[in-house]
Amino acid sequence: MVAPSTTEPGSRSLKQLVLGRKDVQDLSDNEQELPPDLMTVNMGPSHPAMHGTVRIVLTVDGERIVAGDVQPGYLHRCFEKESEHATYTQVFPYTDRLNYVSPMINNCGWAMAVEKLMGLTGHIPRRAEYIRVIVSEMSRMTDHLTCIGASAMELGAFTAFLYFLKCREWLYELLEKVSGARLTHSYVRIGGVGKDLPENFHADLTLCLDQIVKIMVEVEGLLNNNKIFRDRMAGIGAMTKEDAIATGCVGPIARSAGVDYDVRKDYPYSVYPELEFDVPVGTTGDCYDRYLVRIEELKQCIRILRQCLQQIPDGPVMADDPRVALPPKAATYNTIESMIRHFKHIMDGIKVPAGEAYAFVEGGNGELGFYIVADGTGRPYKAYVRSPSFVHLSTAAQLIHGHLIADVVPIFGMINMIGGECDK
Amino acid sequence: MTDAVKPAAAPAATAPAPTPSDSVSLTIDGMAVTVKKGTNVLEAARTLGIDISAFCYHPGLPVVAQCRQCLVSVEKNPKLQPSCQQTCGEGMVVHTTDPQSTLARKQQLEFTLLNHPIDCPICDKAGECTLQRLYFEHDNADSRVDVPKVHKDKVVDLGPTIVLDQERCILCSRCIRTCDEVAGEHQLEFAHRGDHEVLTTPPGAQLDNPYSLNTVDVCPVGALTSKDFRFTMRAWELEATPSVCNGCATGCNIEIHHKHGRAWRLVPRHNPEVNKYWMCDEGRLTYHELREHRLAAALVDGLPAGWDRAIRAAADHLTQALSASPKTVGVVLSAEYSNEDNFTLGKLAKAWGVTNVYIAGKAAVPERADGRLRVADVNANTNGVVLIAQALGLPAKHTVDLSPDVRTLVMLGTELPGIDAGKVRELDLIAISAYERGPVATAKVALPAAAWAEAAGTITNAANLVQRMHAAFAPPGQALPAWEALVRLAQATAVGTSNKLSFAHAREVFKDMTQTVPVWSALTWAREARPLALRFAGSRG
Repeated sequence: MVAPSTTEPGSRSLKQLVLGRKDVQDLSDNEQELPPDLMTVNMGPSHPAMHGTVRIVLTVDGERIVAGDVQPGYLHRCFEKESEHATYTQVFPYTDRLNYVSPMINNCGWAMAVEKLMGLTGHIPRRAEYIRVIVSEMSRMTDHLTCIGASAMELGAFTAFLYFLKCREWLYELLEKVSGARLTHSYVRIGGVGKDLPENFHADLTLCLDQIVKIMVEVEGLLNNNKIFRDRMAGIGAMTKEDAIATGCVGPIARSAGVDYDVRKDYPYSVYPELEFDVPVGTTGDCYDRYLVRIEELKQCIRILRQCLQQIPDGPVMADDPRVALPPKAATYNTIESMIRHFKHIMDGIKVPAGEAYAFVEGGNGELGFYIVADGTGRPYKAYVRSPSFVHLSTAAQLIHGHLIADVVPIFGMINMIGGECDK
Repeated sequence: MTDAVKPAAAPAATAPAPTPSDSVSLTIDGMAVTVKKGTNVLEAARTLGIDISAFCYHPGLPVVAQCRQCLVSVEKNPKLQPSCQQTCGEGMVVHTTDPQSTLARKQQLEFTLLNHPIDCPICDKAGECTLQRLYFEHDNADSRVDVPKVHKDKVVDLGPTIVLDQERCILCSRCIRTCDEVAGEHQLEFAHRGDHEVLTTPPGAQLDNPYSLNTVDVCPVGALTSKDFRFTMRAWELEATPSVCNGCATGCNIEIHHKHGRAWRLVPRHNPEVNKYWMCDEGRLTYHELREHRLAAALVDGLPAGWDRAIRAAADHLTQALSASPKTVGVVLSAEYSNEDNFTLGKLAKAWGVTNVYIAGKAAVPERADGRLRVADVNANTNGVVLIAQALGLPAKHTVDLSPDVRTLVMLGTELPGIDAGKVRELDLIAISAYERGPVATAKVALPAAAWAEAAGTITNAANLVQRMHAAFAPPGQALPAWEALVRLAQATAVGTSNKLSFAHAREVFKDMTQTVPVWSALTWAREARPLALRFAGSRG
């Protein structure tokens, strides 16, 4: 590519030392203008084309990436250690801040792990299970809408971004009506959910889904066969099925590479066995396939949500178990029994029997697992989260190898690293 | 339970395994267990990890089987038996989870809660309440009765230390037995019958014995509250650090309950060899002193100074005095400070060649000695200092009758018994003290030291038991553990350079000390205790 420099180190002028190379007018005929050395450049931690706070130290040969050193950790909040100092219920707000684009799924994962320890799995009221699936699928949609919208924008497709973020906002508004908070919901409880769905939720969600279907048609029209978009995505950051399995990739990334693994199908939980949906699987494992898988999953989410709205039964949204359910407020204020129970639940925390459990759900980015060691007190002795983003980011260095600097943007965008989840 | 470190001569802490003749074997919930003869079923079940609910039973008090909360089924016995009173018999088969006894205990708990006021949010016991714990762990059901609750007096002043809420009382009689057994004074009893039964003092008496606050610890609910602690701090927000009371030479094992860098109360910690489950009221209130008249920064000629300047001033003065003649310098060890502090100062005195060595402490209070926990010697570490002085070969005198040559006095603590204030003012004092009072106020140089609750160390009680204290929180301002201040002083003084002190941690002082003091040669340093958050301490209450 580039001929080695013939200049002797001793003959360098002051100007050359300062610039690191010769000035153009000082070059002789057989010398090249650009220096032949590899260059090290920083991408991030704050880079306008990277959504997520991560630093990638790139070693580049011209525009081509020779090596990438991915350095996460900027959003480390000691989730696991903090959990050891909070009651099981107080951990929910921490889980909101893992994958903050789909907090409801994190809520459900944590609740399921604690319920497994308490032997409550399968004893959650059916209405609560349906509500959990509804809010989880809405969260999955917000996750995919953000991923696709932001990645498209980073490649110049600003319209798609605005359209999808508008869709996301409709979903956020609905989730805010459900939980009271737009982003950090903390809605799920051990044994059920915090409160029942709001009035008119069915109509609101149906309307919202109808609008999203229309907008998706437009965005697909803008992106799917867009030359720029396809040139930037197809064949970029491809991963083989074997690599995906070997590195522990899950979710849309693994599925785009042909790994047919979805926790909802392979280890069914909640009421997913009662719902009909398909799991899209790609073939090439490149950025374009990841995009297509996510688009199809959005459609499947809508399909699941419509079924849920039809099938959801009436009934309580909290397990009738004094170990986990808070007594009603009126009873708390008027009977000593409920007062004690309320006090113990809030101050000491839900008493979880000693043991260990791992529960996992299909998060926005794939298998999201919580592993808890309980010592019989009101707080976890140890908590661990298997966060898909962390695993996926570990493949980033390999994926960007040999590509151009500009390709880092779609590759990183389609890995969909969420700082909160990756850095824990 | 206890982390006291004992001299080699002391008996082993664990009792020898019971021989067949003095042990019985029984089965509880299908599990076989062998216990010492005379053990009750409740204790035997606890060794198996079975927690039978109980209110009136306390391992340190006589058994009365009054609360009926620990009923269990014993095979071949038609009636349910209170497990606290039922002595284990050979081949006995006990069930604690059978429907009959479970129902009996649930109903008993429902009955106990019947007239209990809804006070948790304002109750001092909330968070460490036995009633709360037993209800949450063993019952957790709603009441089936909705008649109005019986109301009784909510604020009954029982004496100088305690306020009683009769509504909260569940009539377990633990406090009555505590006064009888621990203090030997009958100052509480029950009056009336049925719904109207209340705890009260006998006519003309009040609850004023010197062990009265133990009744607050044993109270399973918030009926008895300490006037000192009530409404000051929520119990579950505190952290507990194990330590030893420095109020007198008994050395009761305690827990310092602290938060925000200060102690909020002291409670006894079980040690069968020293204080069992109890401690005296005076000792319990010594934590107040930790915030009074504290020396938070070094003083040079009465003015605040940084450590460097104060150490330089003290070292310059000492170098001059010691080079003139070591006879002009005196050293005062303190029976109020830890073994480590005194050992460091003793070692320093030896390196300096000082022979005028004294042991100071607070004057004895003979009327305190009651043959129970309280003793006349109100210094925590008299025996330790004496042993250290002996081992170092220092001719220590117990009264500070200064030889006329002494012009400079290096003293630990605040006590200089036997010298009048006028004479003290003539001396050049270099004081290492936690408190700014007495002679320290007129010292040439005063170095701020950590008090007993703020530094790791050991003290030796009247029975020659060496017990470990843990630092609960940081000392105020710039104060350092006294041994550390002395190491700084030793490094800066240009006399006795052949044997420089270079301790970096209390355990290094301890190690050197155990190698010097023969009877302590077998002692080992207990690991630092992490403060225990009472909120998550599990089965408290």
